Amino acid sequence: MRQEHAQQLAGSIVDFCRFLRTHGFSADMRQTMTALEAAKTIEVRNPQFFASALQTTLCSTMEEWEQFPPLFQTFWGESQPRPRSTSGEYKGPSRGESPEQKEGSSLFLDRPGKQTGAAEGNTKAVYGASTQQRLKKVDFSQLPCDDLALLEEISLRLLRRMSQRLSRRLAISERPTRIDLRRSIRRNITRGGEPLVLAYKGKKPRKNKLVILLDISGSMNFYSLFLVRFAYALQARFERVHTFLFSTNVVDISDLLRTRYLPEALRKLSQRAAGWSGGTRIGESLRQFNQVYGRKLLSRDSIFIILSDGWDTGEPELLASQLRKTKARVQKVLWLNPLLGLKDYQPLTRGMAAALPYVDVFAPAHNLESLLALERQL
Amino acid sequence: MSAIEPEDESGKDRSADPDALMRNFERLGYIADRSLATSIFLITKLRKPLLIEGHAGLGKTEVAKVLATMLGTELIRLQCYEGLDASSAVYEWNYQKQLLAIKIQEGAAQTVEEKERYIFSREFLLERPLLKSILAQEASPVLLIDEIDRADEAFEAFLLELLSDFQISIPEMGTIQATHIPYVILTSNRTRELSDALKRRCLYHWIDYPTFEKEMRIVRTRLPDIEEELSKQMVRYVQALRKLDMEKPPGVAETLDCVQAVALLGKHQLSADVIEETMGCVAKSMEDGARLRAAGIDQLLSQAT
Repeated sequence: MRQEHAQQLAGSIVDFCRFLRTHGFSADMRQTMTALEAAKTIEVRNPQFFASALQTTLCSTMEEWEQFPPLFQTFWGESQPRPRSTSGEYKGPSRGESPEQKEGSSLFLDRPGKQTGAAEGNTKAVYGASTQQRLKKVDFSQLPCDDLALLEEISLRLLRRMSQRLSRRLAISERPTRIDLRRSIRRNITRGGEPLVLAYKGKKPRKNKLVILLDISGSMNFYSLFLVRFAYALQARFERVHTFLFSTNVVDISDLLRTRYLPEALRKLSQRAAGWSGGTRIGESLRQFNQVYGRKLLSRDSIFIILSDGWDTGEPELLASQLRKTKARVQKVLWLNPLLGLKDYQPLTRGMAAALPYVDVFAPAHNLESLLALERQL
Repeated sequence: MSAIEPEDESGKDRSADPDALMRNFERLGYIADRSLATSIFLITKLRKPLLIEGHAGLGKTEVAKVLATMLGTELIRLQCYEGLDASSAVYEWNYQKQLLAIKIQEGAAQTVEEKERYIFSREFLLERPLLKSILAQEASPVLLIDEIDRADEAFEAFLLELLSDFQISIPEMGTIQATHIPYVILTSNRTRELSDALKRRCLYHWIDYPTFEKEMRIVRTRLPDIEEELSKQMVRYVQALRKLDMEKPPGVAETLDCVQAVALLGKHQLSADVIEETMGCVAKSMEDGARLRAAGIDQLLSQAT
């Protein structure tokens, strides 16, 4: 009897984990196992213990922690440590809810609570903007690629520059900076421990990661092509580069740019409809980026580059708040603006003005020389 | 429902359920709510590391200290910082002593192998916190890895390995397996996101700012000599401050500092002067001080009294 009850409970917990996953929790196998173990060690009939035990085992971030209580309530009902079904079959509210949850524009918007309202608003707005999207298929391979060598040359220089940032961890090095006693003793042990040959250690070099967001909206028409090739050149040289295109939403093109042969890469690129020459919603794109890729790609050794003219049809507040979030995670934010090459340009567009406080380096990017000047900034 | 008991090696104050643990903590001067008590209870039962996140000054580090006291075991603390590496976290050889030993041995009629074995024996090993926690002989120690978010990602990856196997290999000596698996508590201020792999291995607890009732209990437990009315006013005042949009909202540590400061100033009542005088206890930057003033001292006073 008791055995049966325990099994039923275990089944319910597994179902609960599945339910959490539909709400964006990771709740993976390992965590599920831990939750099951936890349920064995505590008095499950005490609803508070039970809830806390599941919370501590199944959450792994503050966001999850805060979403947990209402979800727990929804699933387990009136603080009952078992779902409201009596038969083994589970018919909780989760099944009913999940289809409509999945209907949203993406799983990442499936956050209940205060975010939902904003997310809905945004989704609608995105649809509104996408009527402007022309989804033009551009065949870049027709364009000349003769300056590619020069671009590569630039990226090579940038690479050398950026490699100079040293991490603070120590590693073996031949230059006499600090004696590595451990290695010195090891090397000299055959000589009876007389320290004849010394080993040294210095700072271990570590290359920065580059994350590039490239604006391909209509206003950037003149430049986006040129800048895509710049990104390609960078990608060929840096080990860790991630490139994204955005207009009204974000598309990852890192895999395409990793192709050896540029015309091939460009041909594939034009097939991946990404709203070429469409409208611009920088804030929304950045929000998407932060949500989907931010955690994975941004760290303290990354340099975040936005290539855009700052013409934004979205809310400047959204842009500012999202850029602030990004800035908190990375080492440096660079905004390269092709318009900055124009003589009388002032960054007065609403979006640009909102973004500037969170930008470390604001530089032009309209021709090769300007990119070359970038070298000094990095 | 019977619990799976890990062998009860300490034989000491093991709490039977989260409520008992909560009472034990309270006896030691730490007010834990039921949710935190359950998390801590599960560390002792499941032997999984617990990751505690929350703002500064809410007693994250204290959890480990109190747990160690309650279990009557040793607390081993590793403070993380950028550039923390294995030689300061795990172990290092005492090179100077090794060099001396080599000199002394010079005339001795020993083979090179024997000499080497001697040089790389326990005698020359400097135990850093992580190794120390593995080597503990009598009982499972509490290992506190403080502010893990400050260490590099590479160190985090290393930790991952240690936390799953509880063994450390030293090339010269071989692999050392923990005889008593430590209770591990990690704390983070969320200055950066930790890796998912690490988070998934840990139990998780988010410490939020306490409610008025809880904070009152903390103040009463920690500073029993302060008049209740004054404590009440101070707690209400700090709670009101947290609603301002401060850069560093005051934690419980700040509340305690502030209450003590007021008492030391010989005041029995919260007033505009007192707020002015003790501002440094709660607003830790110029901007926050300005924000406090902008919110209106009289306004705050009326909320507190």
